[in-house]
Amino acid sequence: MGAFDALGIANSALGAHQTWLDAIADNIANINTVTPTSQNAFQATYVEFSPRADGGVDVSGFAEGDPEGRLVSDPGNPLADADGYVRAPDTDMAAQMGQLVMAQRGFQASVQMTKSAQDTYTAALQIGVK
Amino acid sequence: MSISPIEFPSFPMAPTMPVAPATTSGIDASATSVAPAGGVTGTSGAGGNEFGSMVLDGLDRLEGLNDRADNLAVQAATGKLDNIHDYTIAASEAQVATQLTVALRNKAVDAFNEIMRMQV
Repeated sequence: MGAFDALGIANSALGAHQTWLDAIADNIANINTVTPTSQNAFQATYVEFSPRADGGVDVSGFAEGDPEGRLVSDPGNPLADADGYVRAPDTDMAAQMGQLVMAQRGFQASVQMTKSAQDTYTAALQIGVK
Repeated sequence: MSISPIEFPSFPMAPTMPVAPATTSGIDASATSVAPAGGVTGTSGAGGNEFGSMVLDGLDRLEGLNDRADNLAVQAATGKLDNIHDYTIAASEAQVATQLTVALRNKAVDAFNEIMRMQV
């Protein structure tokens, strides 16, 4: 790529944060998804990042939440077992909201990086212009 | 956009005049004489071809960047674009590369005009 390394690196960061935002959206969307105690709870997705050797960031993998979840007493729920329990995900809503802010701000920072990079390239083109 | 190869005329350059360092009294000639830098040697011999191939390489790369941006634009229009930033960054790259190529072209034309204005 050469001349546009800054843009390429910012592009990788945008992609990584987009993936993170997607994962958070999925986690928050399923925060109230309960399952019967005979099944696994909804497992939240946690994105793992790793640096690229030539600059930038990659999504290296996904970690999953606890399949045990937490048992909630909800006898009125048709999914409840004989003791009146259902399995809810152990996702922490506050932590997800905090991560949402971090992912959004990280994405915005990368967008600012692309703007600055383009300003820099445009400034370089002005060298020697009369 | 298809680019036909442009043949840049390689002018037989006049042999570079050996500049004798002016040994003015009081000035150390060895200190003021400019050592021939590596880049200067490119102007003698096949200098025109080097500039031509450089321009052609730049045009090829510019065409590739434009093609990529166009493909992503089509994907965006047809709803097949996964990431918005893929398109916007490709478009930015194509835009800057186009500006760079145009600036290079303008510089070359300026240099040509400057030479044509020379008194003979």
